[in-house]
Amino acid sequence: MTRLPEPVTALAAALGRLPGIGPRSAERIALHVVQSDPTAVRDLAAALTLARERVASCSICGALTESQPCPVCTDPRRDATTVCIVERALDVLSLEKSGTYRGHYHVLGGKLSPLNGVGPEDLRIAPLEQRLDRAPAREIILALGGDVEGDATAHYLARRLAGRGARISRLAQGLPAGGGLEFADELTLSRALEGRRDMAP
Amino acid sequence: MERNGSRSPRKPTDLPQRGQRRFFRGGCRGGIHSTVATGASFTQNHGVHLAELRLRDFRNYGRLDAQFTPGFHLFLGRNAQGKTNLLEAIYLLATLRSFRGVGGTHMVRHGAKGYFVGGTVVGRGPAEIRAYWSPRERKLSLNGAPVKRLADFLGTLRAVVFCSEDVQLVKGVSRVRRRFLDLLLAQTRPDYLPLLLRYTQALRMRNALLKHPLPDEEQLAGFTAELVRLGDGLSAARRELAPRFAPLAAQAFRRIASEADELGLEYHPSVKGDLAVALANSRSRERTYRTTMVGPHRDDLALRVNGQPAAQYTSEGQKRTLALALKMAQAEYMTGLHGSPPVLLIDDVMGELDATRRAGFLPLLNQSQRAGGQVFMTCTAEEWPRELGRELIRWSVDAGKLNQA
Ligand SMILES: [Zn+2]
Repeated sequence: MTRLPEPVTALAAALGRLPGIGPRSAERIALHVVQSDPTAVRDLAAALTLARERVASCSICGALTESQPCPVCTDPRRDATTVCIVERALDVLSLEKSGTYRGHYHVLGGKLSPLNGVGPEDLRIAPLEQRLDRAPAREIILALGGDVEGDATAHYLARRLAGRGARISRLAQGLPAGGGLEFADELTLSRALEGRRDMAP
Repeated sequence: MERNGSRSPRKPTDLPQRGQRRFFRGGCRGGIHSTVATGASFTQNHGVHLAELRLRDFRNYGRLDAQFTPGFHLFLGRNAQGKTNLLEAIYLLATLRSFRGVGGTHMVRHGAKGYFVGGTVVGRGPAEIRAYWSPRERKLSLNGAPVKRLADFLGTLRAVVFCSEDVQLVKGVSRVRRRFLDLLLAQTRPDYLPLLLRYTQALRMRNALLKHPLPDEEQLAGFTAELVRLGDGLSAARRELAPRFAPLAAQAFRRIASEADELGLEYHPSVKGDLAVALANSRSRERTYRTTMVGPHRDDLALRVNGQPAAQYTSEGQKRTLALALKMAQAEYMTGLHGSPPVLLIDDVMGELDATRRAGFLPLLNQSQRAGGQVFMTCTAEEWPRELGRELIRWSVDAGKLNQA
């Protein structure tokens, strides 16, 4: 059995590190790439580089943005005294799509997960506290996933952020269990937001 | 009646979620291991039976395609020919687990990459199950569609297994009885299995935190809150179930015990009062042992015969009888709940019983027969219990081949 040329294996290895791409898919894509029209491949490479160069995390909230700070953080019509805390940048998009939320966001970049070695210092909690020191919030909404880690992170944050004089609430139940916000449809999300409940620290 | 070579199994599709993958792992470690009632209603009173079983590279079966009618099937053959493997495969279709408490690798035929078990269940409309397992891949489909949530799958085929390991229910550690209890609850309450899986997850997370020499108390509090909420749900469900199940078990025991022995069954929670308080009080012990010391994961089911703890004060024979009674009660409980009897898988336990005790077992078999249910029993040819009647469908099992006798 002849082996694949080294560049193909290297490309497959790089692709295999992407989310949702297993070893077989990675190899299939790599083989497809090396047999494609060179122009198409150059375009793909350019698109990858450009996307990475143009998009960054907002220096304030952590959402994905092309401008610094992001359009949400700089929109004067939005309520800066309400901060909605989410796990991932993707969750901001889900909540924006639901169209009912008019406050600001803060992306944690994950959730507490002792089994995966994710602790508070691995999340954007310290930047959140600095931000709240500068601009105190009236309400903090914890919009974290409904799984064990999401719930424990919400409990943890409710305790850690207590004593700042802000109302701390969390989304109503009814979000799909085990999934992040992206699994909830827009109506479910806006209902969960409306039905948010105060959290005891 | 084995058909060779006519049909190859279509490939079932991927199992997407991690929680389900864990469940599909063979073996009994952690979690529950049997069928689960979903929210469906069970008004019809006709039997559910396994009409077809297909095996590829499963244990000593390279390839098997067999059809089964309702009724009493007897697998006859010498030892180590693959009789129990057939029961194991049927149980796997019902529960996605091996009743032998082993993982998937043990069930793959020597030299093969993975095993396939497929089955057609006839009852509330036919259902086709396909399960494929390899160290790298697990696939499960129902009627051609990948199974996304286990609640949608479990309950397609319900089975209760009777095997010699059942005696561990009496002799073994509390985990064995907890699993039995969890199984009963998962059958009565559709919300129980998600709660249990979630509790287990919260417990693993909390224990991971406790492994540190100096656990972060604030983080610990976050996972404790979650553990308490879920643990309270588990305890409430277990507390409610025990008094309902106990009379069934006592009745079954009276029927098969040789003496006039009384079986008492009682839920023994690890924490009698407030779980949050008990967890707070156990913090110093947690510091020593670096694990969660109290909670539903330490519950037990107390079994007493004539008021005495069954593990210490009964003979080996009584222990086996008691274990059998628990399984009979489980089958009766499921029948009462779902309106149709589960498929009974009986692995060689008849040989262990004397004629009196076997007679006590007959009503359950008769009930199954009347309801159009199905029984699969293994036996070595010399010792099959002839009093079980003439309506037996006899199969011979010889070196991974199944033939109607
Ligand atoms: Zn921003």
